[in-house]
Order: sequence, then structure tokens, then C-alpha cells
Amino acid sequence: MIMEYTENHFSLVLAAVIISLLLWVPVGVLITRNEKLASMVLNIANTIFCIPSLSLFAVMVTIPALGLGRRSALVALVLYSMMPLGRNVYQGVKVVDKSVIEAARGMGMNSWRILWEIQLPLATPVIFAGFRIAVVMTTGIAAIATYIGERNLGRLIAEGLTRFNIEMIVSGALLIALIAIALDTVLGIIEKQIVPKGLKVRRS
Amino acid sequence: MDWMRVKQALLERAPEALGVHIVMVLVTISIAIAISVPLGVLLTRPKYKNLGVVVLNILNLLQTIPGLAIIALTMPFLGLGLKPTIFALTVQGLLPIARNTIAGLYGVSPDVKEAALGMGMSHKKILYEVELPLAMPIILAGVRTATVYVVSVGTLAAYIGGGGLGDLIVTGLAMFWPEFLIVGAGLGAILAISLDRLLAYVEYRITPPGLGT
Amino acid sequence: MIELKEVTKIYTGQSVPAVDSLTMKIEKGEICVFVGPSGCGKSTTLRMINRMIEPSSGTILIDNKNIKDSDPDKLRMGIGYVIQQIGLLPHRTVAENIAIVPRLHGWPKDKINRRVDELLVLIGLDPETTRSKFPSQLSGGQMQRIGVARAMAADPPVMLMDEPFGAVDPIARNHLQDEFLRLQREIKKTIVFVTHDINEAIKMGDKIAIFNRGRLVQYGTPQDILSRPANDFVADFIGYDRVVKMLSLFRVEDIARPVGCTIEPNELPNAWNKMQDYQAAVCFLINSAGEPSGFITGDDFLKQGKDASPDVLNKIAGQRKRAFVEGDVLLRDALSLILEFNTEYLGVLSGNRVVGVISLGDIRKHASKKEGD
Repeated sequence: MIMEYTENHFSLVLAAVIISLLLWVPVGVLITRNEKLASMVLNIANTIFCIPSLSLFAVMVTIPALGLGRRSALVALVLYSMMPLGRNVYQGVKVVDKSVIEAARGMGMNSWRILWEIQLPLATPVIFAGFRIAVVMTTGIAAIATYIGERNLGRLIAEGLTRFNIEMIVSGALLIALIAIALDTVLGIIEKQIVPKGLKVRRS
Repeated sequence: MDWMRVKQALLERAPEALGVHIVMVLVTISIAIAISVPLGVLLTRPKYKNLGVVVLNILNLLQTIPGLAIIALTMPFLGLGLKPTIFALTVQGLLPIARNTIAGLYGVSPDVKEAALGMGMSHKKILYEVELPLAMPIILAGVRTATVYVVSVGTLAAYIGGGGLGDLIVTGLAMFWPEFLIVGAGLGAILAISLDRLLAYVEYRITPPGLGT
Repeated sequence: MIELKEVTKIYTGQSVPAVDSLTMKIEKGEICVFVGPSGCGKSTTLRMINRMIEPSSGTILIDNKNIKDSDPDKLRMGIGYVIQQIGLLPHRTVAENIAIVPRLHGWPKDKINRRVDELLVLIGLDPETTRSKFPSQLSGGQMQRIGVARAMAADPPVMLMDEPFGAVDPIARNHLQDEFLRLQREIKKTIVFVTHDINEAIKMGDKIAIFNRGRLVQYGTPQDILSRPANDFVADFIGYDRVVKMLSLFRVEDIARPVGCTIEPNELPNAWNKMQDYQAAVCFLINSAGEPSGFITGDDFLKQGKDASPDVLNKIAGQRKRAFVEGDVLLRDALSLILEFNTEYLGVLSGNRVVGVISLGDIRKHASKKEGD
């Protein structure tokens, strides 16, 4: 039973994270080109982020195309990630030293090249920070999706609550925290590999 | 859409649920501020500097424990009702505020403190007149994060008998009444967004000119 | 050659033009320095040449080709560009930074590598140790040099430099300027150089263009501008030490006269007669090793009398033991030495032999001479 719950939890988080990446990274990059659009999108992201998770899940359920179950859970989780991921991609790309871009433009690099070869590589630390927050957060909130029909680790806690079973609550809580910490650690290791070396070395 | 049920949710259940929710959030945040700001100040004093870094790391780790888990874990020890709920929410509210207090105080430029010391200010005076005002925007940002978070986790209090807007959602889910879901979820969202905007405004107002964006 | 015709730039939302119908020619192989107070339009003009900014009206030609006819990216690939903040890519090594434009041109790898090493040597850095460093591991001066090397990578005939040495400390700046002038003697690029520092303009420029409020106020050689400022603005901008600045355009060797007369210590009693024979105003005292140890002048005999004792003359000469300069010293510095030693003359050295003499009178004459006189 625990195996099944863990598997479900994991697959939900994974799906949500992958969709979020595919969706919010391009959006984050896109809005760096237009200040008005950026402030609008970031405001929406911030507002969604404020909505209590149980509320957002509940609202999703009332939408006929989604209903009870995974689809509602996925949509809600992806929407939550918009804030940490989209904002960090935007800020990471925006904060790249203006003079670096000026110099690159002056050498005849077109804006695509500048994005791929300069802005995105230089933004990786900030983007990754946002990504890690999104993953840890998604792992925690996914537990609440148990109340809209997901059979995941949240169910252990929910069942424990109704049955007054401490062991179930503790093991559910610990497993979720462990998955979150494990994912965060793995991402930390990946981050070390991906962040360009030139950003880490200093003059000795 | 059944208008009878909308009426029932909105007029009979919502006022009390919203009231409880607001009380729950206000009490929790007040206690959390009262504990975590002094704690943050203490942990940034030179005497406890090493401890501060350790605590900051622990707080970051604790942040990974899901809100539902903390709510659930309180129940076996403190039972059901509003008091255990407030306890559980306070624990959650502590984290962002303490973390931001520490980060904000660390962030005050050593040059500014050095200059203040050089002008003959006492350490206590420096704390109240230099460090806290400069760190205030960041501390408030922590309060804002905590508030939004507590409103959110507060909806889960319904599962340990804490009441609040979660009650409407739980009923809605159990009975498949979308009207209850929308009223409960909508009010929760409105409450969280309003508090967020209010605190963002306060944050903006108290940021000393020349600081921040 | 770069030619600007009636170029005007009005930024959106502003009524006053940043650059106001500017017409000028920049000759091939010259350093043309744009100088002026901030907001005078010098940077805007520079950035219009590689289309970082598009002019509101007017045309810009490079080698008689309208820059509007080429694609901006292609145009920029053919023009070196150095900015004050350098803008090295922090995630790329020194070699990768220098290779950017050759890579955009699609050069083969080994050609790029050879070019990178060649440039590193040219700017005085060791390719072996520098090639794979990251910008964060370099000093400010080194980064600045890499910035210049990067701009020269594909050997563009034109280079635009916007306060290229503005971010380094004065000593390093002086060094970079000298180095760059040495380099320019070899590479002979057409260079537009922006600065707000008139001293840098005088030092670096073959021509100086002084800007004020979007207009070209004066355009000419440094000597031209220093000796004939077009109006009060230019005169004020140059400062009260205009003449002293002009002296920094010349070196001692430019005005030195040949040595008239030398004597050895044992000839001192005969000095007056020897100077009369040679009709020399100065007479250098040469020791047994052939090195000058001072000099005596006609004035000394006026004060001390024709029959001054050898001891007195020897003492007077000895006080001027250090009143000598090398031929490549700037006239400005020579003047300073003349004032310091309270003398009318300085000996000119080559190695430890005296080869010439300059006088305060010569410097004064040179300073008041106008160009073309």
C-alpha cells in the first residue's frame, strides 16, 4: 500500500514538474521581452500562489473538464509552480549584466544567440533556485490532492487522522518530507554540474 | 447550480467560517511575530552568530515538511479543535518570519553599522535605529509569506476540527456540492489575496526611500 | 574612412536632439577621439556607427557604403567594439571570449586557436596560462586588454571604443594607453574613441572632435585645438593649463639643439674662453668616464665674473648634476624639471652621453608657436 502511495505521489510530482518546466520556462523567457506583459503575468502568478491549496484543488474539481482526480491535481500543481519558476526565469534572464549583452550585440550576435549562449546559461543559478522551490513545494502540496481523490502519501495522513493512527500520520509526513529533501538534494547536485564553471571560480 | 445551496453556504455557513478563519490567522501571525522576530534578532548578535547559521539551515529543512503533515502531527498530542490548529499554524508561520528576520539583519551592510558605531551609537541604538529599520522590508516580506501560507494551511484545519473556511470545502467535497466548494474556496482565495496585497502595500510604505525597487 | 552626413538623433519623448545634424569625416588609419561633457552626444554618435542606435535622419558611410544597406549583425561583425564595462562573458574562458566573432564568421577551429594565441601575445599575455582562465580570475587591466583583443579578433578595419580604459585605476590606464598606441602603430586601424577626459583625448587622438549639446564644436588635431580653441566652451573644457597640455604633445628631442661645448674638469680655468670660441651659451662638464656631471652657462660668468675660480664653477656645475633628461621625455615634464632646478637649460641624454640641450626659451617659443607657423 505504501509502495503504491509513494509511486502515485512521485508520478504526480514528476508530471507536474515536467509540465511546469515545459510551460513556465518559455513563458518566463517570453515576458522578458515585454515589461507590461511581464508585470501582468507575474501578478497573475502571484495571485494564484496566494490561493489556499485546498481551495484551488476544490475549484478545479468544479470545472467539468477536470473533475475529481489526477487532471485537477495536475492543473493546480502546475499553476502553483508558475510563481516560483516563471518569476525566477524572468528575473534570472533580466538580471544578466547589461554590459555583457551590449558587448555581445556590438559583436554582431543576434538575439537568439544571445538568449541561448549568454542569457540562459548565466541565468541557470537563479532558474535552478526557482525550480528547486517549485519541486519541494509541489511535493508537499501534492499530499493535499488526496482530498480530491489522489491515492498518494497524503492519504496516509488523511487516513491516520480519521483513524487516530499516529504511525500512519508520522510515516506519511516523514515519507513526504524525505522525498522533498531527496529531490532537493539531487537537484542541488545537478545544479553544481550545470552552473557554468566561470560563474564559480574566483581570482586566487 | 442550486441557488438554495449557494444561499445556505454564503449566508448561514460563510460568516462564521470566515470569522474563525480571520481570527485563526491573526492570532497565529501575532504569536509567530512575537516569537520569531526576537529569536531572529538574538541569533544575529555576534555572540550567537554561528548558531544563527545552523538555525537558518534547520528552518530551511523544516520548510520541506508539508503543511498537512504538521497539522496532522499536532492532533495526536493536542487533540482536536481551534487551539491545536493555532499551535500547528504558529509553527508554520514561525519559519518564514524567523528566516527573513535573520536574512534581513545579516543583509544590513557592515559599513553602515561600522559608521553608526563610529558616531558613538550603542549596540542597542544601532539595532533599533539602523538594523531593524533597514531589515524591515525583508522581515515584512517574511510576514507576508507566512500570512498567505497560514491562510492556506488554515483551510486544512477543518480536518482536525479547527473550523474556518475549510469546513465549507470539506462539506462540499464530501457531499459533492460544488456551491459549497466555490464559496469556501473563493472566500479563502479572496482572504489570502487581500491580506497579501495589504501587506505588500505596508511593505511598500515602510521601505525607506532609496531602498528597494 | 567613416563619413557622417547631417546625422541627427532625437530620442523618443525628448524634444532636444541628442545629436544635431552632425557632419564629419574620420580618416582611414587614424584615431579620432570624441570628447565632451556627459550627455553631449559623443556616445550616441559612436553607437550609431555600428547601428546599436539608429539615427533619426542623415546617413553614415563606411568606405563609401551606406551602413543602412547591411544587416546590423553582419555590420557589427565587421566592426570592433569595446565598451567601458568590457562585457566579457563570465561563463566563457578567455580564449572563448576572444573567439566569439571569428566563430560567428564560421572560421575553422585551428584558425581560431591560432588567432587567439596570436592576439594574446600581441596584448602581452602568456597564451599558455591565460587561454583557459575565466574572466573572474583576471585583474581589471587584464580584462580590459582581453576586451581589446576580442574586438580585434576578426581583424576589423574599424574599431569603436567607448571609454575603453575608463574603469581602471590611473596607473593602469596610463599603461594601457601607451600599450594601445604602440599596438596602433602596427595595426593602423580606423578608430573612434570616446572619452570625457581631455587629457586622454590629447594623448590618444590623431584628431579630436569636441562635442557639446549634440553638436560638433571643434574638430582638428590636438595641437590645432590646444593652440586655437574655437570658442569659450572649448577653452574652458581644455582648462587654464592649455599651453602646458600642448607641451605634452611634444618630446624633448623635437626641439633639442646640438651640444655646443664640453669641457673636462682640468679645463675649467679655460671655460670662459672655450665658450666664447664655440659661441655656446652652455658648457657641459664631462668626467673621465665621458659622463656629464653638470654644466655652466654664460649667466654664471655674468654673476661670478669672467675670472671665476675653477672651484666655484665646479660647485655651480655640480648643483645641476641631475638637470638632464632623455630625448623621449615630454616637453611638459622637461618644463617641470627646469622650474624644479631653477635653471634655464637642461642637458639631453642618450644613454649616459650628453647629446643635446634645450632651454626655457626654446620651450616658450615652441608653446607660443601656432600650427602652420
